[in-house]
Amino acid sequence: MDLQVFPHRILGSDRTEMLLNEIEALDGVKRTVIQGPRLPPEDPNENPKYAERRVINVHGKEIDLKVKTGRIFIDVSTDFDIVEVKDSIDEICKELLPFGFDIDVGKFIRTQRTVTDNIKYGNESVPDELIGMTDQSAKLEDRVTILKKNN
Amino acid sequence: MAQYYPGTTQVAQNRRNFTDPDYKLEKLREISDEGVVKILGHRAPGEEYKSVHPPLDEMDEPDDHIREIVEPIDGAKAGDRVRYIQFVDSMYFAPAQPYLRSRSYLNRYRGVDAGTLSGRQIIEARERDLERISKELLETEYFDPARTGIRGKSVHGHSLRLDENGVMFDMLRRQIFNKETGKVEMVKDQIGKELDEPVVLGEPLDEETLKSKTTIYRVDGEAYKDDKDAVEILHKIHVTRSEGGFCPE
Repeated sequence: MDLQVFPHRILGSDRTEMLLNEIEALDGVKRTVIQGPRLPPEDPNENPKYAERRVINVHGKEIDLKVKTGRIFIDVSTDFDIVEVKDSIDEICKELLPFGFDIDVGKFIRTQRTVTDNIKYGNESVPDELIGMTDQSAKLEDRVTILKKNN
Repeated sequence: MAQYYPGTTQVAQNRRNFTDPDYKLEKLREISDEGVVKILGHRAPGEEYKSVHPPLDEMDEPDDHIREIVEPIDGAKAGDRVRYIQFVDSMYFAPAQPYLRSRSYLNRYRGVDAGTLSGRQIIEARERDLERISKELLETEYFDPARTGIRGKSVHGHSLRLDENGVMFDMLRRQIFNKETGKVEMVKDQIGKELDEPVVLGEPLDEETLKSKTTIYRVDGEAYKDDKDAVEILHKIHVTRSEGGFCPE
């Protein structure tokens, strides 16, 4: 099962970085997808003090943030109790999202290959973990970062 | 006594305040005349107003009783162009909202044309009058740097979730929150043309102040259904309108 965190405001890069670091540190979390409006493209004429696009660091791995976080989908491993994971995420969010948020349990990341996936990858076998991690128009390597966990 | 708006809640009172031309609106910030001209983007600061040629005095205008009765506003007297300013008000407790803006503009200002849409509101007037009105609108309670947008085009955003710093979404990124100063700066004019120097619009109002100043009924603020008086009047208008409109013979 998945969890969806729906913050009542759109998050900037600093808060996204803090939130992802905290969520990724939890044991039951298998995959995380952030979804939201695209950040404005890099503009060489833009004053750097207004720039929002930056590389964030999640557990030592550098991620080029492409979107402003509007929702976070979290795939919880079946070995863990989803209610416990939800409670821990609730605690993290209470601290980091003072303006409010909703958490829902459900199915938010697709698990089956679509027709578009078949056209895109052909007969190649794509690992189950990568299905549903990005939208059909994007390249997988542009959007997915794999973090190695200790356990 | 003029009756502007029914209701017993703070939202209703705020609506009455805006609509009542005798109510003096609180001045919350200072924006220079030059800043206002830059934001509007209709002329360069210091440039003369463009007006009709030949000047109105030299023109042979047809006789008109209305022209004799009505004293023209300054811009009309000088033959200025008609220009505009357009505002977008966020649904998240912005101080004003389009319908209220129209009602209050028409009560407060002479010689203006107000146009209302669901998410934006435009006011048109002669250029020099527009600058005077715009300054008032930007400096007083009508405006909050974060929840109100000055957008001549690409207005989308009034119903979207706010950014974490409380600023309304703007696809052209005209009003930007400066983290260092805590103030909102206007880096482009209202149609999105880059400004040489940003115009500082001041600090955004805090959530509490916005909730006390807003003219928007919201379930998480003051709900419309809780304002018994306003609902009763609305109900009365609805019933009389329906009955009056039914089978008019």
